[in-house]
Amino acid sequence: MNTIPPIEKVLVANRGEIAIRLCRGVQEEGKRAVAIYESPDAESRHLRIADEAVWIGPGPRKDYLDIDRIIWAARKSGAQAVHPGYGFLAENPQFAAACEEAGLIFIGPSAATIQDLGDKTISRRLAEEAGLPTIPGSGILPPGGDGKRAAVEFGAKYGYPVMLKAVAGGGGRGIRKVDSEKELLSQIEIAKNEAVSAFGDGRLYLEKGIVNPRHIEVQILGDQHGNVIHMGGRNCSIQRRHQKLVEIAPSLLDPALEEKICQSAIQYAKHVGYVNAGTVEFLVDSDDSFYFLEINTRLQVEHTVTEVVTGIDIVRRMIRVAEGKKLDVTQDEVFCRGFAIEMRINAEDPKQDFAPESGKHVAVYNSPGGPGIRLDGMAYQGYTIPTEYDSLLVKLTVYGFRWEEAVSRLSRALKNYRIVGPKTTIPFYRKLVLEPEFASGSFDTGYLERHPELYDYSDQEAQEAKVAKLLSAIHYHGKNIFAE
Amino acid sequence: MSIRITPGSDVKEALKAIRGSDSYFVTNTARDLSQSDFKNRILAHTDILVAPEREAAGYFSLEITGGASVHVDMLRKQINPFERLQLLRSLMPNTMFQTLCRGVNLFGYRPYPENVLRLTVKEFAKYVEVWRVFDFLNHVPNMIPVFEEVQRAGKFLEATVCFSTGPEHTDEFYVKKVGEILDVTGPDILLALKNHSGLGTPQRIGQLVSSLLDAYPDLIIHYHGHNTDGNDIGRIIAAVQAGAKIIDAADHAMTGFFGPPPLLTVLDLLDDMGYKAEGINRDAVIATSDKLKQERPAYAVFESQFKGFDPTVHTHKLPGGAMGSSFEQAVKGGFLGRMNEILMKELPRVHKELGNYWSVTPGSQILWTTAVTHTLSGKRYVNASEDLKRLLLERYGPFPFYRPADDIYEAAFGPDWKTIVERDSGIEECPPVDLEAEQAELEKALGRPADIEELVLYLQHPRDAVNFLKFEEEYGKTYVLPPSVWLRQGGFDAEEVVTFADHTGKHHSITFASTQELQDGSQLNYLYVDHHLEPFHHYPEASQGQAGPKKELTQAEIASLAEMGEVRAPMTGVVAQISLEVDQKISEGDTLLVLEAMKMLNSLDAAIAGVVSEVAVTEGQQVAKGDLLVRVRPLRSKDASE
Repeated sequence: MNTIPPIEKVLVANRGEIAIRLCRGVQEEGKRAVAIYESPDAESRHLRIADEAVWIGPGPRKDYLDIDRIIWAARKSGAQAVHPGYGFLAENPQFAAACEEAGLIFIGPSAATIQDLGDKTISRRLAEEAGLPTIPGSGILPPGGDGKRAAVEFGAKYGYPVMLKAVAGGGGRGIRKVDSEKELLSQIEIAKNEAVSAFGDGRLYLEKGIVNPRHIEVQILGDQHGNVIHMGGRNCSIQRRHQKLVEIAPSLLDPALEEKICQSAIQYAKHVGYVNAGTVEFLVDSDDSFYFLEINTRLQVEHTVTEVVTGIDIVRRMIRVAEGKKLDVTQDEVFCRGFAIEMRINAEDPKQDFAPESGKHVAVYNSPGGPGIRLDGMAYQGYTIPTEYDSLLVKLTVYGFRWEEAVSRLSRALKNYRIVGPKTTIPFYRKLVLEPEFASGSFDTGYLERHPELYDYSDQEAQEAKVAKLLSAIHYHGKNIFAE
Repeated sequence: MSIRITPGSDVKEALKAIRGSDSYFVTNTARDLSQSDFKNRILAHTDILVAPEREAAGYFSLEITGGASVHVDMLRKQINPFERLQLLRSLMPNTMFQTLCRGVNLFGYRPYPENVLRLTVKEFAKYVEVWRVFDFLNHVPNMIPVFEEVQRAGKFLEATVCFSTGPEHTDEFYVKKVGEILDVTGPDILLALKNHSGLGTPQRIGQLVSSLLDAYPDLIIHYHGHNTDGNDIGRIIAAVQAGAKIIDAADHAMTGFFGPPPLLTVLDLLDDMGYKAEGINRDAVIATSDKLKQERPAYAVFESQFKGFDPTVHTHKLPGGAMGSSFEQAVKGGFLGRMNEILMKELPRVHKELGNYWSVTPGSQILWTTAVTHTLSGKRYVNASEDLKRLLLERYGPFPFYRPADDIYEAAFGPDWKTIVERDSGIEECPPVDLEAEQAELEKALGRPADIEELVLYLQHPRDAVNFLKFEEEYGKTYVLPPSVWLRQGGFDAEEVVTFADHTGKHHSITFASTQELQDGSQLNYLYVDHHLEPFHHYPEASQGQAGPKKELTQAEIASLAEMGEVRAPMTGVVAQISLEVDQKISEGDTLLVLEAMKMLNSLDAAIAGVVSEVAVTEGQQVAKGDLLVRVRPLRSKDASE
């Protein structure tokens, strides 16, 4: 087990901000990072940051999902290891297996672990075995009329709402809340088709809906020597249609409750013999009872908040664990000091239901800096928002020793952010950070629905640009129409 | 030791000091100069530029607001009139600011309700120490609410008698008029003698000042005149010799032909005659003009196209402020060739027929418009303007000397004129406005809370105040731009650099990098803003919607169209699945089709029950937000029963 030769080169099997994040970790470990790209990403910033790059095809998206193509790229570049990031093939057990077969180190859990834990029913059963509380569920619905009948029975037994979930889903995808029997029947078919299209697996199951819970998750890290630690909780309650927008570490729960949840996560990880980084997700009801939700067998988008409050680099340890090294951190050494908040700055128009601003050009990009600011981004002046991929521009993570400090720092950072060209979520966040319920740190997954006024913000720009706009208008009209 | 009366001084004490002085005081009438000789266009930028010199000059007051300036600040200078005063106050802590207030018409052209009058005066009085208040009919009751509020605020009330010439304009009349004022205000006021057209000889003015002082020995007279005939300095000297304590003049680098005379000339002449101006620093007066000389060329377009003094003013009596604009109207209206006829024949005739009142706002506009209409149409009084009718009905106030002849009323109002006069005559009653409702209206228009000063501006000029506040939101504080930029004609040169300090004190540099004329008629400019390249896109206004950017439907619009059976894409994406066909019956909530966007499948459900009449897309088709997908013919209740 200790005979794994050291890794010299890592293929980063992803794009966008997470590819950049992984390159940084690889390079800090003293290794070379290899990027891959499809044609639409030829100008993407992850290529500039990597040490070398391999073009894998015209795309879009299909080549990033093409296991053979990526194995080919790894071989071509001479990489010994592959880091999948999140999304694309990160939780595809075939990909992990293909890497192993090709003699490449897959930086993540084993294919078998991904396979089992990615299956919601198996991961749930394992949770029950490990003694974790779980939400009442239906088990996999049989196809066709039997499935519909079973679904209706489940709804009648536990009442509405119920959650309709894709077995292969995750990260907020493949989940729908269903409020009535009629809706349930009409949604089953759509959810199945979506699951087939998105995950290649159309199987569905039902869970009792818990209204406006808090969404809490625990970062875990295990090595190949049986050591498992948790790195504290995260609060991901601020979501829009099950997509996380704002993530916070630690969980903002009562510390005793958070500790209990973290111990459950460890219990689970030990039970399944978990190796490498993962996230155990929980729902916390208003009475503080909590339920195991699922486990994500990969690095999460929001890992930055945990890194900030613990000071522990997760990506670097993922690489070391994959190399067979022992974890250099014991549970006793993990402290969460202060608070971190991460916001996903997307090229989207919140006023238009977060419609992506695809194809728009970033004309101006000025980012904030200074104490307590971390940026994980890919946007730059001249960047064009791709129509082919997601609209995430940058993750802004701020740190504050006290919660209030973190919030005011976030407000300051957002005020200093200036992106001209696409509409972004920045002005919406500027309003959100000033909202009292958010500022007090007490919110659940119903937060955004309760605060429609947050969408009524104004797009304020910096003063100098405003006057420049007037000068340009005078130039256009050949005179100052506001002086007449 | 010279006396300087500064903001916050006790009015009674200050008036005592003025009475006790054996010298005279000077008001710099910068606002009046701007209005009379530069169509009101001198920018705050220029007033800010010379603020230190004017502060050092030691004037009794700087007339810097009031008249039309409140309106023009918002309309053509895009500056908040209150903010302008705050800015100047911070630079000129020891100089009293003076305003010109049209009594019941405030800074506008029509009477305002009493609660608006009082609120406006109260808010402006926070910045303005000296209040010159007049009424074009010298009708004292029209000024009382403003008088009261000024005195309540502890500011200097400068009650005003307007001056004119003619057989009715006797010393006796004016002495009586001043008595009416003093009965209302008490003795602790300044009295302005307002000679807005610059009428009368020096001897006439000297005689009137003497008569007033004979009747009221403690009266402090502030003489104000215009230099249209080139001889206001003569009248000023006569006024001071007769005992006037304060006079008006302006910075010589900017003086023209229709406004105030050059201040330095007045100072030097009176000095030679043994009259010392109280507290004046002559060097600072000169230094002010040295700076202003550099600025005047940028304002050249606003100076009258006809240069030279106009001694015929003694016949037509148009006030300074109306001279430039009347010539401008004549040029635009194509009747420049008939100006002599209008000014020398019809205007004096109309003036006499309409009661020989004081030709000043808004009365001067009525005389001028009536004379022009008569001359151009060849018909007299039959096409009477609404303002003329209001004058005839004494809505503004009673005629001071005599009423116009009956045939004028008959021409203006028709055969029923007697009934109309009987029914409608008398001072207009303005019911109070609901200030809270007005505030709500304003806030609705702005989409944000409004403060009390913004409300005051809105009450004066609702539309222009909202436009200005929206301008400011979009373009920021633009008063930092010099006139050479603000009044730029013909755009900017390539690589031209504009530098300025913004309202927070930060220096900025803006460079014109490139201009592209695009095929759709729009223009794309690239500017370096503080060394960062930024694009600015401008679309032609007339062809908006056609050549301009495609207007996107909002979610609300898409939703309301769906209610009418027009199903449009709520987002850009690909049609993943269509589960219906034409003529299919559907119920509310049925899934019409599935749209894939950003890797998510979104089912579009029917907002209404009906029959599918059109399917505009096919599976796999890329659709943009707002594109038509499906049309549903709504099922009416009658159809449903079939």
